[in-house]
Amino acid sequence: MTAFLQVVILGLLLGGVYALMASGLTLMFGVMRVVNLAHGAFIILGAYFAYYLFEWITLDPFISMILAIPVFFLLGVGLHRLLFPRLEGSHRFGEMTVLLTFGLAFIVEGLMSFFFTGIFRTTNPPYSTEAFIWGSFFVPKGQFFACIASAVLLIGLWAFLKWTRVGSGVRATMQNRDAAQLVGVNVRGVSTFSFGIGMAVAGAAGALISFLFPFFPFRHWQWIAILLSLIVVGGMGSIKGAVVAALVLSVLSSIVTTELSPIWAPLTFFLALFITLIIRPQGLFGKTRRI
Amino acid sequence: MTDLKDARPDTAETASRSNRTRWMVLLAVLALALTLPLARFLGTYNYILQVGIVVFMWIALTSSWNILGGYTGYISLGHNVFFGVGAYVSGILLVYNDLSPFVTAPLAGLVALLLGVLAGLITFRTKGPAFIVATIALLLVVFILMDNWEFIGASNGLSLPLPPFPVEWVKVPFYYAMLLTAILSVMLGHRVAHSKMGLALRAIAEDETKAEVAGINTRLFKLMAFALSAFFPGVAGAIWGYSLAYLRPTAFFLISVAAQMVLMAIIGGRGTVAGPVVGAVFLVALNEFSITYFGASEINLTITGVVMVLALLFFPLGLVGTLRENGRLPVWLDWD
Repeated sequence: MTAFLQVVILGLLLGGVYALMASGLTLMFGVMRVVNLAHGAFIILGAYFAYYLFEWITLDPFISMILAIPVFFLLGVGLHRLLFPRLEGSHRFGEMTVLLTFGLAFIVEGLMSFFFTGIFRTTNPPYSTEAFIWGSFFVPKGQFFACIASAVLLIGLWAFLKWTRVGSGVRATMQNRDAAQLVGVNVRGVSTFSFGIGMAVAGAAGALISFLFPFFPFRHWQWIAILLSLIVVGGMGSIKGAVVAALVLSVLSSIVTTELSPIWAPLTFFLALFITLIIRPQGLFGKTRRI
Repeated sequence: MTDLKDARPDTAETASRSNRTRWMVLLAVLALALTLPLARFLGTYNYILQVGIVVFMWIALTSSWNILGGYTGYISLGHNVFFGVGAYVSGILLVYNDLSPFVTAPLAGLVALLLGVLAGLITFRTKGPAFIVATIALLLVVFILMDNWEFIGASNGLSLPLPPFPVEWVKVPFYYAMLLTAILSVMLGHRVAHSKMGLALRAIAEDETKAEVAGINTRLFKLMAFALSAFFPGVAGAIWGYSLAYLRPTAFFLISVAAQMVLMAIIGGRGTVAGPVVGAVFLVALNEFSITYFGASEINLTITGVVMVLALLFFPLGLVGTLRENGRLPVWLDWD
């Protein structure tokens, strides 16, 4: 039982970080109907951001995380302004944006491979190799701090959406784009802003990833596939769904890791996706669209 | 997407004349393709044939992708699954049963087709972006399985016996086999586009709900589209795998392979019959150029991405689609 609980604890700690990454992605989808296939690539970019700051001036990845938020927010706003206005009003906006961000993912991956090479990297702050021993449980410090940081950011995001004026605009747009526009929400502005927020979350999560997992540019495909599975399982556009799916599946995958092998851990997410599609295609908290 | 009505008001006479021009150009291209192996007597022969094999392979892959991604409007970013599975089916039959992939290629296609049906049954539970997500997940599942399955060599790969042809002619059988595959898959694309099924698929692409209300069995047609679009990638995979003489998961199951298919279809013109052919020729040429001048593969990846983004933003109909829109599509490229 202790061993099992230990696995659950490790799964939940990582699940917090997964939840952070997935919430940015699902926010983008909820507000703009954009599935951002480049999200994983920007997470890896965030990891390199933290890696190089750590290598050059031994800046703690948690400070890099805070720095990454404004940097990636501005990057996101710029990219959104540059790329998406041309597609608005397109007959097939949804699939066009998927393809566009697919292309963007290759650009980012290619540039990262060119400038940072394909070597495995990790940042090594002291806490990444230490652990708390609580009773009979073992809690790695790095994962613990990363989970706390993710939780703080997620609560911040939630509070922002709940209690600020812009946040209400974002939520209104998520519920019904046309109606939001009708009652005076600047939908385009909200979209740009949400893209920036999604990117900021990606950058911050990347800084956390930098000491949790070894990374290299190509790795982003595995991340994006896992994150996309999470948001489909949770119901696309539902932040609550993404968080629940992240926690549950992360625990399941850490059980698979210990019981079978780490090789099969990613399969947990994909099989959960397929099972969800078969049983409940709209996802845990997704809305069924009626005609 | 393809307009159902023709933009040019053709009289019967001009139609038959343009028909004749079209066939003459196509026959000339075919004659050139068929006699290309004679270049052996001119030098640089292996390079030319290899480029030919690559072009035909991409034509087969992209034309097949186009049935699902172009006509039906369901974008698969995991379509190289069928390419890779085809390669492995024929590779295993060669290694363990000593059957030539040239013989087992149709069987590889059939296995890919069945896998396509299975994939369709799962992925068609959803549509739009979630469908795309499901196809990516499918690709990664198959990749992880292939990368860890000892029977087929796992990540070390599977070495195939060398083809039993005299070394100076070794590329010729692959060349003709791939040429045949390419021609058949373009013909399949044409056949589908002009059938009742093609009409149904385009109706689904326009508005699935309306299509369903109009009495089209959307589920059945979508499954058929997925199955058909999986067949020739399997065949092409069998031939390509044999020509590599060495199968490893990273040669087939990387998402960048699917990206090339998508990109070729977009550049050429998604949902047109000629588009994938034009796109494949254009992109292979671009790749050859960029490999010659930039070498490094990271740059190629970036170029792929840049071309895709620019094409989507400024050129979403692709070459064939844009030319048709402006009424400037040369007759010999109008295969719809």
